[in-house]
Order: sequence, then C-alpha cells, then structure tokens
Amino acid sequence: MNRRAFVFSAAVASGLPSFNALGEVADATQAVEKIVGNKNVSRGRVTLVIPPLVENGNLVTMKVSVESPMTKDDYVQAIHIVAEGNPLPNVVSFYLSSRSGRAVITTRIRLGDSQRVRAIAHMSDGSFWQGDASTLVTIAACAEV
Amino acid sequence: MGKTSRTLVTMPASAKKGDIIEIRIIVQHDMESGFRHTETGQRVPRDIIRDFLCTYNDVEVFRVELHPGMGANPMIIFTTVATESGTLEFKWTGDDGYASSTTSQLLVT
Repeated sequence: MNRRAFVFSAAVASGLPSFNALGEVADATQAVEKIVGNKNVSRGRVTLVIPPLVENGNLVTMKVSVESPMTKDDYVQAIHIVAEGNPLPNVVSFYLSSRSGRAVITTRIRLGDSQRVRAIAHMSDGSFWQGDASTLVTIAACAEV
Repeated sequence: MGKTSRTLVTMPASAKKGDIIEIRIIVQHDMESGFRHTETGQRVPRDIIRDFLCTYNDVEVFRVELHPGMGANPMIIFTTVATESGTLEFKWTGDDGYASSTTSQLLVT
C-alpha cells in the first residue's frame, strides 16, 4: 500500500464513526416517516424476534409476526423492517395479501451494530403498528475489509 | 447482460383446499452491500437482488423489496393459502441485469 492509498483509507476509516447514536436514530426516523407519512404508529400487534446476543452481524435470523385475522377485509398489507444502527436503515419490506393466510415471516438480515430493530406493519384499514427488538452484536456486518 | 444463480424452493407438493402452506426460498447471491471498501479504500459497488415476486396461477400473492441490509444468500419463509391446483412462480430481479425464476407445482385436493 503506497502513502496516498493509506491516507485515503485512513480518511475513510475516520469517516465511519460519524454514524453516531443521534445520527442513526434521525436516519431511522426519516426512513419510518417515508413509510408511514404523517400517520400515527401504534405500539403492539407486531412481534419481532431476534436473538438478544448476536455473534456475527452478517447473518441474523429474524422472525416477524403480526396479529391479524388475514381475511379479505382485514389483513396485513405490508411489513417493513427498519434497523436504526445500519448505514441504510431500510432493510427489507414484505408485501402480503389476504391470500397469505398468516402474517408470519422469517428471514436473515445484516446488522451493522448493536441496536434496536423495528418492524412496522401496514394494515389493510390504513393503520400502522410497530414492534421492536434490541440486540447486542459482537462482530458487525460491513466492518470487515 | 443477464446473470442468474442457483435457487431453492421448499414447499409441499400437495395440500387440502384452504390449508396454509409454508414456502421456504433460498437464492444464491453475494448481496454486495455497497458499504464495503477494498484494502486501497475503494468502494465495492453495490450488487444486490432488489425484488422478489411470488405468483400463484399468475396472481401476485407475495412480494418483497430487498435492500443492502439483507444477508447474503437471501432466505425468506412465508405462507400462502392453497386455493386451487396450479403453478407457483418465484421471480428474483436485481442490479446488473440479475434475473432468475423458478416454478413449483401444487396439487390441491
């Protein structure tokens, strides 16, 4: 590695800590606002399960379930996963229908830091419900070169 | 220029009408986040799957929007109601012309 490359990578490295705690939550709040608009997000009905201690943030199994009868008139339209401590808070969005039968989804996500992860459910009547889970991450995703 | 990769779908071959069936999909993909840098400080460009779509006899039943926060080799377990015998199609599309699809048959009794 020559000197210039070293200076550049050092600059990149020093730029990373700029994702401070306040900035993260602000980013996530913005991401949530984009999803829900000016609607009110109520707590409850959504259960998000993530291991409380994660060894490797690159592959974290999470399960989200939403209490809903899942009938033609009352079902979950969408579930959005927002990770407050990730450089990009939007992680994944699921779009369901009354034909889903159950609003239960399991997937694997990346976590950039120890943080709170939120799941926001968009119901067919237009209301939003939220559940969250906090976790400790020992080795963060996107840390390795 | 298209890219494809190995995909895996696990679901029952038959079900009773009205049953909720569980579908497990895994697709082989690095999901390069676009947040990593090489040793020389160069950013590795983003290369991820953006969308997943599941259709049941050509009717959309489940859709996913993926972002760089999804883990490599995306795995998703979801459900659908068995309404009639037919074909379920699973389609993935992503950056750099990535596209792949696979189908499964379901017999409903």
